[in-house]
Amino acid sequence: MKKGSKIIALLMVLALAGSLLAGCGNSGGNKEKVNAGKQTDEPAKKEEEEKGEKEETKDGKDADSLPRDETLYFAGQQWGTVNDYNPLSANSNNAMAISQSDMSRTIVYETLYMWNPLTAEMTPLLAQGDPEWDEGKTQITVKLNPDAKWSDGTPVTAEDVAYTFTFHTKYESPTGEDMLSYIDAIEAKDDSTVVFKAKKGEDGKALNPLLTESFLPKLYILQKAYMEKVEKRCNEDSEAVKTDRMDDLIASGPYKPYMDNEQKVVFIRDDNYWGQAGSMWGKLPVPKYLAHTIYKDNSAALTAIQKGEVDVSQTFIPDVQKLWLEQDLPISTYMDEAPYSVCLVMPTLFFNTGKPGLDQTPIRKAIAMAVDYDQIISSAMSGQSPTFEDVPRSVMNPTDADQEMVDQDALAKYQWKNADVEGAKKLLDEAGIVDSDGDGIREYKGQKLSYKAECPSGWSDWNASLEIVAAAGKEIGINIETYFPEASQYYDDYTTGNFDITMQSSSGSSVANPYQRCMFFLSSSYNDLDVNYSGNFGHFKNDRADEILKLIPNESDNAKLKGYYTELSQIMLEECPCVPLMYRPQLFHVVNESVWTGYPQMDDGTNIPPTDCTDGYGIAALYHLTLVGGQ
Amino acid sequence: MKGFKKYYGQKVLWYLLTLVFAVVLNFVLPRLMPGDPVSAIAGKSVSGMSDATKIQKVYQDYTEKFGISKPIYVQFFTWLKNALHGDFGVSFSQFPRTVSDILSGAVWWTVCLQLPAIVLGWVLGNVLGAVAAYRKGVFDKAILPAFLFISNIPAFGMAIILLFVFGVRLGILPTSGGYGFNMMPSATWAFVKSVIVHYQLPFWSIVLITIGGQAIGMRSMAIYELNADYVKYSRFLGIKDRTIVKYVFRNAMLPQITGLALSLGTMMGGALVAEIIFSYPGLGTTLLAAVTGQDYPLLSACTLIITIMVLLANLIVELIYGVIDPRVKASQQD
Repeated sequence: MKKGSKIIALLMVLALAGSLLAGCGNSGGNKEKVNAGKQTDEPAKKEEEEKGEKEETKDGKDADSLPRDETLYFAGQQWGTVNDYNPLSANSNNAMAISQSDMSRTIVYETLYMWNPLTAEMTPLLAQGDPEWDEGKTQITVKLNPDAKWSDGTPVTAEDVAYTFTFHTKYESPTGEDMLSYIDAIEAKDDSTVVFKAKKGEDGKALNPLLTESFLPKLYILQKAYMEKVEKRCNEDSEAVKTDRMDDLIASGPYKPYMDNEQKVVFIRDDNYWGQAGSMWGKLPVPKYLAHTIYKDNSAALTAIQKGEVDVSQTFIPDVQKLWLEQDLPISTYMDEAPYSVCLVMPTLFFNTGKPGLDQTPIRKAIAMAVDYDQIISSAMSGQSPTFEDVPRSVMNPTDADQEMVDQDALAKYQWKNADVEGAKKLLDEAGIVDSDGDGIREYKGQKLSYKAECPSGWSDWNASLEIVAAAGKEIGINIETYFPEASQYYDDYTTGNFDITMQSSSGSSVANPYQRCMFFLSSSYNDLDVNYSGNFGHFKNDRADEILKLIPNESDNAKLKGYYTELSQIMLEECPCVPLMYRPQLFHVVNESVWTGYPQMDDGTNIPPTDCTDGYGIAALYHLTLVGGQ
Repeated sequence: MKGFKKYYGQKVLWYLLTLVFAVVLNFVLPRLMPGDPVSAIAGKSVSGMSDATKIQKVYQDYTEKFGISKPIYVQFFTWLKNALHGDFGVSFSQFPRTVSDILSGAVWWTVCLQLPAIVLGWVLGNVLGAVAAYRKGVFDKAILPAFLFISNIPAFGMAIILLFVFGVRLGILPTSGGYGFNMMPSATWAFVKSVIVHYQLPFWSIVLITIGGQAIGMRSMAIYELNADYVKYSRFLGIKDRTIVKYVFRNAMLPQITGLALSLGTMMGGALVAEIIFSYPGLGTTLLAAVTGQDYPLLSACTLIITIMVLLANLIVELIYGVIDPRVKASQQD
């Protein structure tokens, strides 16, 4: 009997194997479907790493693997399948190729300038020389680099820049809509000169020069001929243009799309890239392929970087120093010691000033004073942030460039000690907010002080921070409960003022910062919106703050600006509508040096920011990499 | 023959009715979730924008595009009409990818992972159970209890144990992905080998757990049958062991087939945790992403597939029973 059923079992298994084993499809298109073969015997042994020995055909898709010593692997940017390569699309989900922000990613598409957060300056990319405002401060003139070319060999001209603006605004892309608020038009004065005409305010000058300028390192420049091609094939239909896949794109960047599916995205170097000219980088970027495997979450990415399958990871790794101190792995960050990375954003606590109790400054300030920020930094950020003793709280990031713009000495008297529970209690007692019925919770105007502090579930470092805030509340007699809904619920709540206490991160470093950050903290211009993604979610209003915010964009005297920022910091510290909880890197930058080395390090003299070798001026890192052990 | 028709006819009718209810519930339930799917997707697309009123406009555009401002019965009939054409709409969280596009990729990974694993687990489990019942000895006393113990480890626990032991500590099997991180999909032996190697851990984490459950069930049934009168009588008659075993097997199989069909039906739900742990891009992870992203179209489509598979599996089991077990048919013919 045993034999009989065993034979039947084996036959069934083989039959299944036969029916399931199918060749792996290799279509010419970008989406690959993969069939899994079935294993009947013992597990196969260790996987061999194949070096790509095969010949590459015209589109190179017959190679069965990427050569390890020519590929730079990324993690932490791409978490799902790529939708498109279209800068007008609202959801490309294509982190490596499309990321237009203050430090745009210029691997495929390029911008006029690249932002460097370390020096707070722009470096020309497609442009040549600095941008120039005219006397009346109504327009910016930018000259193009004559060496700049598209991947089809044609030169990048001012017409392309002008048409990029037309393209975006005609089809009402999010970027286009945004530009129209601060830019009236972009015109080509001649083949290599572009003029940005700013939207004017009532005084005839630019409405907001900072925000007009902010598009220079942000906007991807597209080729006019290609844009016209897309328009034609979409019959100029707005929806079709914005969702066109654009995988046949023509761009000016050093890499082109190679392959993407649900497992990974790969880009291949364009060896005709114009940037190898002497006026730009002088050579080609070192890795031939840039690949990003799609991991399900941070832990999968962490396992991969530990195994050396990832070179550059944009993931938060708690106690990252243990990887090299205890596990002896060749992993490093920008700095060898805490805080390990350059901190450019501040996750900030917002109090809803419309809620009873939270409209009172002493209550907000007391909560702010009682929180143990050192514990937040050591537990939630595992020490990867300077403390508020190192860099006292203000509207500025802890970088040298930012700290020069604020007078810390003048602010010293507004700062409070870390976890100053006694001081907080005293403040509340003096304001007459006491616990009259002995239940341990203070009352204000007869109502118990009880609030919910919310942030999305799963964001563990933020969850931990709010738990610490809740604990502080308990110490001083204010009941704060944490609430961790799904992310979409959280977005809903904080954008519509439907919260008591919440958290959000300030914007990082850019042309328009620190101005934009101050808007985020204090501007009442967002208070009337139905849906507010921009800042000051608690609807705080301070007339002096609004006044200063109007003055800043038009002020160019650094001494005056320093005065303004100091005053804004003072308002924030005195009134506490929002409280920065910690400093945090805008991008995490953890590298594994088992295959590649030469990554940016603090004080290595290159001033290349640690932005995962791709963002803003950080892309310069790609030109400095070398293989471990030499070429 | 009339009884036959009555038997099958009634069954199919019931299942159709259940299907209608299931489709309605599938549609309505996700949309009763609190929260607004537009916020998440709008939040993503406005990052990097500075003008607040323009951001609001983007948000409103999305609300209109997703049609979630219309009354729910209007949305239902629109969706139904499209679904009958095979168009399940556009995903919210992965806008503008269509739901069919997302599912066609994911379903394949899940089926290839789950189907062979469940079937092999079932087969091996039944073999083990039958052997333990007949041969007794070490099979009954040591191997079966061992597998029973293993089968009570939850799927994610098993997955992590295997991952840790074989992937991290011993380093002989890969820890994530459908194929090697440096492999490109191609019709080459190297690629197929990579897929097979990456297949091992998720595959065995499911098989090992399934064996125990099946084995104990089969063992009980086999013991029951072996003690039945007809077995003793056949032995006295001198009928060969092999023939007797065939009878026993056939009778003992019945409940096991039900079990198999139900497992296959729920398979489409995906071994969610196994997929996440091994970064396998299957239906389970798609479902999870749809739930957290409040992606109604994707969610409805996923649950619809699961519902249909379960109903189909149940229906097929009932029909097959009529074929395999004459007693069932006979009782229906009265």
